[in-house]
Amino acid sequence: MSFTEFVDGPFWYFSAAVFVIGVVWRLVGMLTMGSKPDYSLPRASGTAGAIGINIKRFFPRTDFWSRIKLQVIAGYLFHVGLFALLFFAAPHIDFYRERLLGFGWPAMPEWAFILVSELAFLGLLLLILHRMMNPVTRAISNRGDYIGSALIFLVMLTGCLALARAYEPLRVLHFFLAELLLLYFPFSALMHTFTFPFSRGFMGAHYGRRGVRV
Amino acid sequence: MAIDMNVFRGFAEQIKMLPQMAQPTDCPDNERLKRAKAVFAAKLDSSKATYLESCVHCGLCAEACQFYIQTEDPKFTPIHKLDLLKRFYRREKAPLRFFHRLTEPEITEADLEATQELVYESCTECGRCGLVCPMGIDIAAMVHITREGLAQAGLIPAGLRAVEQEQGSRGTVFGVGPDQIRQAVDDLRAKGHEVPINKEKADILVLSSTIDVLLFKDALEATVKVMNHLGVDWTIHSCAFEGANFGLLSGYEEVQKSASERITSQAIALGAKLVIVPECGHAYPAMRWYGANEHGAPLPFEVMALSEFLGREVISGRLHLKPLGPDRHVTYHDPCKVGRHGGVFDEPRAVLKALGVDLREMPSNKVTNFCCGGGAGLFVMEGAAPMRDAAFDLKRQQVEATGAESVVTACGSCRVNLMAGAQRTQWGTQIESLVELVGANLKQ
Repeated sequence: MSFTEFVDGPFWYFSAAVFVIGVVWRLVGMLTMGSKPDYSLPRASGTAGAIGINIKRFFPRTDFWSRIKLQVIAGYLFHVGLFALLFFAAPHIDFYRERLLGFGWPAMPEWAFILVSELAFLGLLLLILHRMMNPVTRAISNRGDYIGSALIFLVMLTGCLALARAYEPLRVLHFFLAELLLLYFPFSALMHTFTFPFSRGFMGAHYGRRGVRV
Repeated sequence: MAIDMNVFRGFAEQIKMLPQMAQPTDCPDNERLKRAKAVFAAKLDSSKATYLESCVHCGLCAEACQFYIQTEDPKFTPIHKLDLLKRFYRREKAPLRFFHRLTEPEITEADLEATQELVYESCTECGRCGLVCPMGIDIAAMVHITREGLAQAGLIPAGLRAVEQEQGSRGTVFGVGPDQIRQAVDDLRAKGHEVPINKEKADILVLSSTIDVLLFKDALEATVKVMNHLGVDWTIHSCAFEGANFGLLSGYEEVQKSASERITSQAIALGAKLVIVPECGHAYPAMRWYGANEHGAPLPFEVMALSEFLGREVISGRLHLKPLGPDRHVTYHDPCKVGRHGGVFDEPRAVLKALGVDLREMPSNKVTNFCCGGGAGLFVMEGAAPMRDAAFDLKRQQVEATGAESVVTACGSCRVNLMAGAQRTQWGTQIESLVELVGANLKQ
């Protein structure tokens, strides 16, 4: 079996299985730990609080803006860019249609791909530099944070190169790195991709029933 | 409002003496870790697990924390204060604990001791950090769980422990018990006030607190004046008057429960429909949010903060106040436990509006208000003095940005901390109590 066949075949199935099982295991595990009943008389709806925070938390409060703007802007550049690349880059849509879903959707034009890639790279690099240089993030970051960032950077880099050069070995390398990322994902803080609506929801519900819009 | 500054200085001196009054803990050294772990295991539920699973170490929480803003020391980063709890969680409760055990070291007794400073002396559980977290992690809630673990492990700082032990063993706080509240009532009666105490039945049970009995006597007097002015059926009870709950502040749940249950059982015996918590920040959540849970069932009465009650009476048109005039420029400091943790924002402002003052909001107000620095028991921890001072300096900047000549609040601890800071820095801004303003301006 060639490396390409390995990457396109068994390693893909293995990494995808680890990703799915790992994510579900972690989500189910944390959400089934239960909680004690709260007998206090609510002032307002906890459900409304949970929904509200999930929307409002996308927009940072102005009180904090001057102290957090770099991370917020970099974070948006990276996350929006990554989302666009993941779901609207033509090769990815082809992959979803052929290997996963059986259907596709319109892709973004190449100029948009280039623009989005550059913005996503800019955002990611700013976040990595901030993590390394800011005294707070440097103190609280662990090895896993850097591994996750590095893997995403390499996946994005090889993806862009593969598309630009239309060169098969780069495509295989990109796919291999993406599979490593899938393997790493459930064991890392990258899980926030799936946990953030729940953590926001728990906090929003807690404060919501107290009548506080957080 | 007249505050006897000699009493205030005596109170401050008494606080400094607290560590010497603390008794040794009943926790043997070899039990500490086991007891802390048992608390962590019991308290980490789905919500806390989700919080701990969601952190991406972005550090934004530091940018909301008064102690980090003032010191720029990364060790005060709020999420860093949860390292101990997070390590326990990852090894013992996380869905991937079998994997984490390969890399995550076991927590040790030394770790417990190292965490004491972080969760007691440099965190007021104000909850401001939770407002900026993009993941919506309620860090304050987990700092409190860490406190609860350390409390069971006998690691409450000595000053706070002394008061918690006193309340737990004798039911008094700073020596104030049934005799002292009766004396306070007698003093008020001598001034011509009718003060019902220990009635058998009453619609409203009014709580007080040690700080009002000893120091802010005008707040207690103003409360009495307001209740009589409204003509409601109320009482103080000498065995259930203390709103302060040092079990909650220290994280020692047995004392928290006994203190809140004393009030709950008395309110039930009275047939009370309402319990009014005095101007004491943490006393509000102790009864309003945790009282029912400590009781194990919904409470058959409502619980209101005094500022909330006053605001509702004003809004409903039952309480009329004499306007002080728009040339009276004031700002309002929301006590964290009543505001951000309790949802009481509009009511005190309705009172200030009825008083006709020129209310000038601080740059960070209401839900994003900065803590006074003395919350969550920091005002009785000598080791927290540098943090309290740092927080006060920030608060002072916020107040001065409004141009107000007085800062009004509805929490005795906030007043004490602001007064201590004012004394230290020769700050001339007045520090006032909401209920005292109301009591002095009742419209006949």
